[in-house]
Amino acid sequence: MQLDAKIPGGPLAEKWDRHRFELKLVNPANKRKFEIIVVGTGLAGGSASASLAELGYNVKTFCIQDSPRRAHSIAAQGGINAAKNYTNEGDSIWRLFYDTIKGGDFRAREANVYRLAQVSNNIIDQCVAQGVPFARDYGGLLANRSFGGAQVQRTFYARGQTGQQLLLGAYSALMRQVGTGKVKMFPRREMLDIVVINGKARGIVARNLITGEIETHTGDAVVLCTGGYGNVYFLSTNAMASNATAAFRAYKKGAYFANPCFTQIHPTCIPVHGDYQSKLTLMSESLRNDGRVWVPKNPEDKRRPHQVPESERDYYLENKYPSFGNLVPRDVASRNAKEQCDMGKGVGETGLAVYLDFEDAIKRDGKAAIEKKYGNLFQMYEKITAENPYETPMMIYPAIHYTMGGLWVDYNLMSTIDGLFVLGEANFSDHGANRLGASALMQGLADGYFVLPYTIGGYLTGTTLEEVTTGHSAFKESVTSVNDSIEKLLSINGNKTVDDFHKQLGHIMWDYCGMARNDEGLKKAKGMVQQLREEFRENVLVPGSKKDFNQSLERAGRVADFLEFGELMLTDAISRQESCGGHFNEAYQTEENEALRDDENFCHVSAWEFTGKDKEPVLNKEELKFENVELTQRSYK
Amino acid sequence: MTKTINLNLKVWRQKGQNKKGRLETYKAVDISTDMSFLEMIDVINEQLTHKGKEPVAFDHDCREGICGMCGAVVNGRPHGPEMGTTLCQLHMRHFSDNDTIVIEPWRSRAFPVIKDLAVDRSALDKMIQAGGFISINTGGAQDANAIPVPQEAAELAMDAAACIGCGACVAACPNASPMLFVSAKVSQFALLPQGKPEAAKRAISMVREMDRLGFGNCTNERECEAECPKEISITNIARLNREYFKAGFLSAEK
Amino acid sequence: MNWLASTLLSSIGKKLMMAITGLCFCGFLAGHLAGNLTIYLGKDAFNSYAEHLHSLGPIITLVELGLLFSALVHILTGATLFYQNLKARPVRYSVNKSAGGRTLGSRTMPYTGFILLVFIVLHLINFHFIDKTDTTIYQIVHSAFANYVYVVIYVFAMIVAAIHISHGLWSAFQTLGANHVKYMPFIRGLSYVFSIIIVLGFGFLPIYLAYIA
Ligand SMILES: Cc1cc2nc3c(=O)[nH]c(=O)nc-3n(C[C@H](O)[C@H](O)[C@H](O)COP(=O)(O)OP(=O)(O)OC[C@H]3O[C@@H](n4cnc5c(N)ncnc54)[C@H](O)[C@@H]3O)c2cc1C
Ligand code: FES
Repeated sequence: MQLDAKIPGGPLAEKWDRHRFELKLVNPANKRKFEIIVVGTGLAGGSASASLAELGYNVKTFCIQDSPRRAHSIAAQGGINAAKNYTNEGDSIWRLFYDTIKGGDFRAREANVYRLAQVSNNIIDQCVAQGVPFARDYGGLLANRSFGGAQVQRTFYARGQTGQQLLLGAYSALMRQVGTGKVKMFPRREMLDIVVINGKARGIVARNLITGEIETHTGDAVVLCTGGYGNVYFLSTNAMASNATAAFRAYKKGAYFANPCFTQIHPTCIPVHGDYQSKLTLMSESLRNDGRVWVPKNPEDKRRPHQVPESERDYYLENKYPSFGNLVPRDVASRNAKEQCDMGKGVGETGLAVYLDFEDAIKRDGKAAIEKKYGNLFQMYEKITAENPYETPMMIYPAIHYTMGGLWVDYNLMSTIDGLFVLGEANFSDHGANRLGASALMQGLADGYFVLPYTIGGYLTGTTLEEVTTGHSAFKESVTSVNDSIEKLLSINGNKTVDDFHKQLGHIMWDYCGMARNDEGLKKAKGMVQQLREEFRENVLVPGSKKDFNQSLERAGRVADFLEFGELMLTDAISRQESCGGHFNEAYQTEENEALRDDENFCHVSAWEFTGKDKEPVLNKEELKFENVELTQRSYK
Repeated sequence: MTKTINLNLKVWRQKGQNKKGRLETYKAVDISTDMSFLEMIDVINEQLTHKGKEPVAFDHDCREGICGMCGAVVNGRPHGPEMGTTLCQLHMRHFSDNDTIVIEPWRSRAFPVIKDLAVDRSALDKMIQAGGFISINTGGAQDANAIPVPQEAAELAMDAAACIGCGACVAACPNASPMLFVSAKVSQFALLPQGKPEAAKRAISMVREMDRLGFGNCTNERECEAECPKEISITNIARLNREYFKAGFLSAEK
Repeated sequence: MNWLASTLLSSIGKKLMMAITGLCFCGFLAGHLAGNLTIYLGKDAFNSYAEHLHSLGPIITLVELGLLFSALVHILTGATLFYQNLKARPVRYSVNKSAGGRTLGSRTMPYTGFILLVFIVLHLINFHFIDKTDTTIYQIVHSAFANYVYVVIYVFAMIVAAIHISHGLWSAFQTLGANHVKYMPFIRGLSYVFSIIIVLGFGFLPIYLAYIA
C-alpha cells in the first residue's frame, strides 16, 4: 500500500494554519450526534477526551487503572518543553523544531515536528489556566531549566513531578466532563480488540477487569492513547500495566506499526540489583543539569567514590562533548555509559553503573538550592538504595524508558485504519529515532488538546458512517476470538508462570535489541523469541478463572502479545541497516563510535503490515523528505 | 548491604465484594532486604501460582510512589511503618528476620473491597468530579505569564497538589474521613489566582459530595497527615474549612 | 435545604458547631474558675461573689440559657459525629497502630465527653439546683467536699476535662481554619497550658476545702 502522510502543502510554518482552515468543520449541533471512543487516559487520552467533550462530542473513555489519574504519564518527572523564550536566550519555534528533529536523528516528519513546536506554547498557557503549579521565580513568573539536547532553557517543570501535575490538569478537565455527563468513564477496563466494519474503526471489545465480563462498545471513531511498549523488556521505567496489547491488536486489524525498533534507553536510572526486581526507577534527566557523570580512570580502581582523587576521575561526557557536556541527548549518554562499563570502569557491586555526582553543585549553590530542585528525587533514590546522594554520588545506569516507534499515523494522527486515531506515545510520529527529554509530555498534550480535536472533525465530516450496533457480526466475531484466546490461556495449565516468560523475553530483548545491536544477535534473538513463544503457548500457567478479578490472566494476555511483538521489533531492527538515534547497529558507526546514518537508503519510516499469525510482516516505507533542514551528522561536541 | 530475611505473613484474603474474608498465613523465605514490599508479595504470588493457588490480588502500577495505585495496611499502618513512603517504595530492609506482618486492605465504607487487598476507590474520583477542577475549556487560555503568581503561593499550591490520591488518609483516619484529600485539592486551587473565581462553588460541592459518599467526619486526629506518603499537611484542612465557611456564609453560592 | 442548615449540617458545619460551642465552654470555664478562686480569699469573699453574680438577674439567665443551648448542640452534634464515624468503617482493622497523630485527648473525645456530661449533671444537682434558702453557697460546697467520695469524683472529673480540652481547644482553632505555621505551635501549647490550669485550678479546690480550709 502507498502510504500517504497527507502533509499539507505550502511553507512549513504555514502548513498547520492552512490545514486547519481547509479542514471541514462539524457544526456544534451535529457534534452531539457523534460518539467517540478514547482508550487511555494518560496525557494524550485525558486531554483528548476532555477537549472532545468540551466541543460537544459524546465520549466514552477507557483505562486499565482504577482511576484515569493513574495513567503512566503520572510518573514523568523532569519537565515539558515549550518555545516560550521567557529566558531571552533566543529560543523560538524554529529552534525547538530544529532541536527535536536533530535530536531524533532525522527520522521524524518535518511537518509534524514543526506543528508540535508551534502548539507547545499553547500547552503551557492551557496548563497554567488549569491550575498546574509550575515552578516560578521570585517575581512570580514561570521558571525554566535545561534538558538534554538543547542549549536553551525551555523546560517548564513542577518540582520532580511534572507529569503528575500535567496529568492531574488533564484529569481534572476530564472529570469535569464526566460530571457534565459528556464523558462516560470506564475504568478497570482493558481493550482487547478493535472492531472494524467496512474498513472503518467502529468500536472496541474490552474486558471488565473486576467481573471479567467481555464488553462491546460502538463508536464513530476510535482514539488509541495507550502509551508505549517498553515493558517488552520486562525491566523498564514504565508502569507495570504499560503494554503493547492495544496497539498490537490494532496492528492485527490492519493498522501499520511504524519503527518498532526505535526504543529509548534512558541514561540515568537506578541500576538493577536483583533478579526479583520488578521494575527500574528513573532518576530524571534534569539531574544532569547539576550532576556530573564520572567513572574512575583506572578500571582496577575499587575505592569508594570519595577516595578517588579528582585527577583519577574520568568525567567522560564533559571531556568528550565539551559544548553539551553532561547534557548530551539520551542515546549518546547511554551508549557512553555502556562503553565505560564495557571497558571495566563501571562502579558498584555489579560493575554496571556510573557515578552522577552533586558534590560540586552543592558546593556551588548550597544544599538547600539543590534540595529545592531535586529534593523528591534524592529522597526516592535514598529510599530505594539506602544511600544518601547529598553525601555519596548517585549510581546510575541506562534503562529502557520510552518507545519512539508506534502505530503509523498520517498528519491527522489517523492510522491506516480509517477512523482509528492514535495519540501520544502509542503513535510513532514526532520523535524519530530518539526523543529529547521533556518532549513526550509536550507531544501527548499537543495531540490531545490541539491536534485531534480539529482533525477528527475533518474525518467525521468527510466520511459516511452507517448505523452499527454491537449485534453486528464483526462484534460477535471479535468477542468470540477474544474469549477463545482467554480460554486458551487458562486451559494450558503448564509449569511456568507468566512472569517467568516475561523475564526471559526481557533478557533476550535487552541483550540483543538493547543499547547496541548487531545482525547476528538480532537474528539469533528472533529464533529465541519464536521458541519462547511456542513454549509459552504450551507451558504457561495462569491461575484463577476468567469471570473474576484475575491479574495473572491480565498479564498473560499482555505477555502473549509481547512475545509476538518482540519478534516484530527484531524484524524491524534487522531490516534497518544503519544506526540512528536509539537504534545502534554496531556495524554502522563513525570513528568516534557515534551512530552512522545511511540517509540514502534508510531515510524512511518503516511501517509494518500484519499478514497473519506467525507470518513475516510486510514492510511499507514512507519516505521522509527534508525540505527545511539539512541532514547532518549529529554533533554535540 | 544485601541480606535475606524470613517472615510470617498474615494476608487478608477475600474473594469478592460481598464475600467473607479472613487472614491467611504464609511464610516468606529468603527475602532480600533490597526488595520492595510489593516485590516481596510478587515472590509470594509466584509461589502460590506454582502451588496451583490463586495469588494475592493487590493494586499497583508505577511502583515508584507516584500513581497512588498501591496501598495496604501493614501492621496497622497504611503503606507500612516508614513515614512519607508508599507501599511500593517501602523496602524490606525496614523489617527484621522472623517478623510477623499483617497485611490488610484499606477499610472504609466508601472503599468496598474488590478482592483481597484491592479496593474500589472511585469515591475519590467522584469528589473531583463534583468540583476539583478549574472550568476552562481547551483553547481559551491567555499567556501563561500574564498573571504572576507569588512564589510562595505556587509552592504551597504544589505542596497540596502533590497528593497522589491513594486513599491512605482515609485508611489512616480513625473516622475514615477523606478531608486531607479534599482539602489538598481545594487548597491547590484556592491558592492560585486561576482557581479563585470558582473557589466558593468548589468548596461547597466537594464537601457536599464527600458527605454523600458515606465517609466519616474529620475530628482532627492528625493520623492522615502522619501517614500521608506525600506528607501533605493538615494546614490544608484548615484552609478547606476557611474556604468552606467563606463559601457557606459569605458567598451567594448555595 | 436552606443554606444555613445545609452549611451547618455538613460534616464541616457540624465541626464548626462543635468548635464554637466548645470554645464557649472554655470561656465559661475560665470565668467560672476566676470566680471560684475567690474561695481562697475566704468564706465571705466567695459568698459575696455568688450574691453579686445572682444580682445580675436576667443577664445570668441569658447566659445560662446560652450554655444550655450550647450544651445541647455540643452533645447532639458530638453524638451524631460519633455514630457516623463508627459507621464509616464497618469492618475494623485487626491490627491498629497510630502513626503519632492521635493523642490521648483526641482518642478519647467521645468518652471523656460522655463522662463530663454525667459529671455536669451531678454537679448541677449538687450545687445549682439545690435549695439555697437558708444556707450559703460556701456552706454547701464545704459540706459537699467533706465527703471524700466527692473529692475523688471532682478531681477525677477535672482530669477528664483537661484531657478533653487538651484536644478540644486546639482542634477548635483548626476547625475554624486558624492553623498557621507560625501560630499553631503556640495554640497547641496553649491547649495544654489551659488544660493544666483547669486541672490545677478546679481540681485543687475540693482538696483545699476538704483538707486545708
Ligand atoms: C519514569 C518516566 C519519566 C518520564 N519523564 C518524562 C519527562 O520528564 N518529560 C517528558 O516529556 N516525558 C517523560 N516521560 C515520557 C512520558 O511520560 C510518556 O511518554 C507519556 O506520558 C505517555 O503518555 P500517553 O498519554 O501516550 O500514555 P500513558 O500515560 O502511558 O497512558 C496510557 C493509557 O492507556 C491505558 N491503556 C493502555 N493499554 C490499554 C488497554 N489495552 N485498554 C485500555 N486502556 C489501556 C492506560 O490505562 C493509560 O490510561 C517519562 C516516562 C517515564 C517512564
Ligand atoms: S504503585 Fe504507584 S504509588 Fe505505589
